Amino acid sequence: MDILSNLLMPVVDLKLLGLIAVGTFAGIYVGAIPGLSVTMAVSILISFTFSWDVYPALALMIGIYMGGVYGGSRTAILLNIPGAPSAIATAMDGFPLAQQGRAGEAIGIVTVVSFIGGFIGILALALFAPSLSDFAIRFQPRDFMLLAVMGILLVGSLSGESLVKGVFSGALGIAIGAVGMDPLTVQDRFVFGIDELRGGVSFVAVMIGMFGVAEALSQLHSVNTPAVKQKISRIIPAWPMVRKHLPLGLQTSTIGTIVGALPGTGGDIAALMAYDYAKRTTRNPETPFGKGAVEGLVAPETANNAAVGGAFIPMMTLGIPGDAVTAIMIGALFIHGLNPGPMLMVEQPHMFWFIVGSLMLANCFMLLFGLTGIKLFVKIVELPRTVLIPVILVLSIVGAYAVNNSVTDVYWMLGFGVFGYFMKEYGYPLGPIILGVILSRLLDDNWRRAIISEQESFGGLMRGIVSSPLSLCLFTVVVLIILSSTPAWKMLRRKRTA
Amino acid sequence: MQSSRNRRPGELGFNLFLFGVSLFLFYSAYGISGFEALSAPGVVPMATTAVMFLSAGRILWDVLRRPASDTETLARDIIPLPIIVTIVMIALYAVLLRPLGFIPTSVLFLFVMIRYLSGHSLGFCLGTAAGTVALIYLIFRLIFSVLMPQGIVPEGEIIAWISSIF
Repeated sequence: MDILSNLLMPVVDLKLLGLIAVGTFAGIYVGAIPGLSVTMAVSILISFTFSWDVYPALALMIGIYMGGVYGGSRTAILLNIPGAPSAIATAMDGFPLAQQGRAGEAIGIVTVVSFIGGFIGILALALFAPSLSDFAIRFQPRDFMLLAVMGILLVGSLSGESLVKGVFSGALGIAIGAVGMDPLTVQDRFVFGIDELRGGVSFVAVMIGMFGVAEALSQLHSVNTPAVKQKISRIIPAWPMVRKHLPLGLQTSTIGTIVGALPGTGGDIAALMAYDYAKRTTRNPETPFGKGAVEGLVAPETANNAAVGGAFIPMMTLGIPGDAVTAIMIGALFIHGLNPGPMLMVEQPHMFWFIVGSLMLANCFMLLFGLTGIKLFVKIVELPRTVLIPVILVLSIVGAYAVNNSVTDVYWMLGFGVFGYFMKEYGYPLGPIILGVILSRLLDDNWRRAIISEQESFGGLMRGIVSSPLSLCLFTVVVLIILSSTPAWKMLRRKRTA
Repeated sequence: MQSSRNRRPGELGFNLFLFGVSLFLFYSAYGISGFEALSAPGVVPMATTAVMFLSAGRILWDVLRRPASDTETLARDIIPLPIIVTIVMIALYAVLLRPLGFIPTSVLFLFVMIRYLSGHSLGFCLGTAAGTVALIYLIFRLIFSVLMPQGIVPEGEIIAWISSIF
């Protein structure tokens, strides 16, 4: 009874209900604007809500978080500029759909599957939090390293026509991620005596440059071509369509929840892994991946929303943040005199159930607000390109500047934008670069921690992998991913399906 | 698949550039810590730049074997004038952002770009530029408190004056 009353507290308390609604609505737009991040919005909210009671403060933050993760897909679909890193994979098939005049349909599908993904993640939080956190805490540096290797192998899925160009792009991304002072030894890497490089290259500047500026420059080739008229007759996807993709959505939601529950990872890695999973397992999609495949929307969007619930698991059960936003929320809980971790679950279980209830309600508001206003939103794509492109450029510049209040980041964004434009022109995929930047730190830090823990012995590391069931399982998945990319495997699969 | 396509204008130069950059980065990565230890800070950079170097070499080899395109030109198909103008304008924007401030630089950038690309009337271009900047300013500066460069516009005083009215 206590559980139920705490679970329903955000629903019956009109003030909390309103705050979650406002937070979710604002979060959708924060997530949609490149340069404005959920992390930034939640950090700002801490100062606003400092003097509030803990329940309304958390309600507002949870709303922003839930809406923001979903909102990143809007600009990814409409403009090919992901509003957040977790929407990078969504742009790959969402933008081609918008170019075909199906932006409304794409946003409708994304909204529904985001709701499903969010629901699965929250359900996992409610039902399996202790056991999932026990699983997450067993991850050793070698397991995180294997996870990063699994992520890097996604290059095959993001490469488009040329695998070798995808490999080059992915390696370049890892090298970009390595720029700056090494956090373990404080040694400079690729700094070349330039002080501004010591802090590394802003990931957001790379992302906005590669996706925003490069895309805007590419569109200048057809600046006078009339914008594609968007079909907005059907927004809510038909039930058979949802039912068809439900099995994939459930599988990728599971991926999202587990990846989200791992400390140091988040919705961005979850979405990319889910996209790769969908590409590997979907047989004969109606539209090929990268050209507007619905599966290419379902997988990343279920995963990144499921990762929200997943990120709360280590936060609530262990006091370890699952991602940047939950790290800030831990700070907020501390400010309000609460100590997240195992004792919170024992001493104040009502807080856990209140958070679960708030997440569930925010997920419902996300569906509601997500499905309304789409017709107005898709009009953005119908604006003349002669006006839209300069506006995209200004938003890109402001977005790059806003992260660190640094003009240097604007120069980086411009540099990566121009470089990305030429890469696009000559057939290099840009997705692997971002993938490399995201995974660079995860791979580098954990490879070194893992090898140090084995006294610099590669043999010792391999023995450690083989002797641990979890590591062996991850290693087997890595080997299977590599094998599944070989011509022999593909031939075998063709024979079996024939 | 790639080798069946003709070589686009500038493609050889771009890939030569990438090959050279990869080689230079590999050399820089070696300079971080050499082959000191498997956990040294230069190991991952060396491995990744080696992959870059090898793949850039493979791509370059492929590009060299393809015939040059005779239907495309660099000036028309790769870097036409609007793209050059846009790149120069963004660079100017970045240079002027601090001294002039966010508001005048953004209005100027949007006005010039919309006018150049669309050829609309001066009033339309100015109105669109000012309206867009006002909206961006409202979201970034006033709602999310992102400090944009103030430059020549005394924003602080203006905001204080507006606040005093309410």
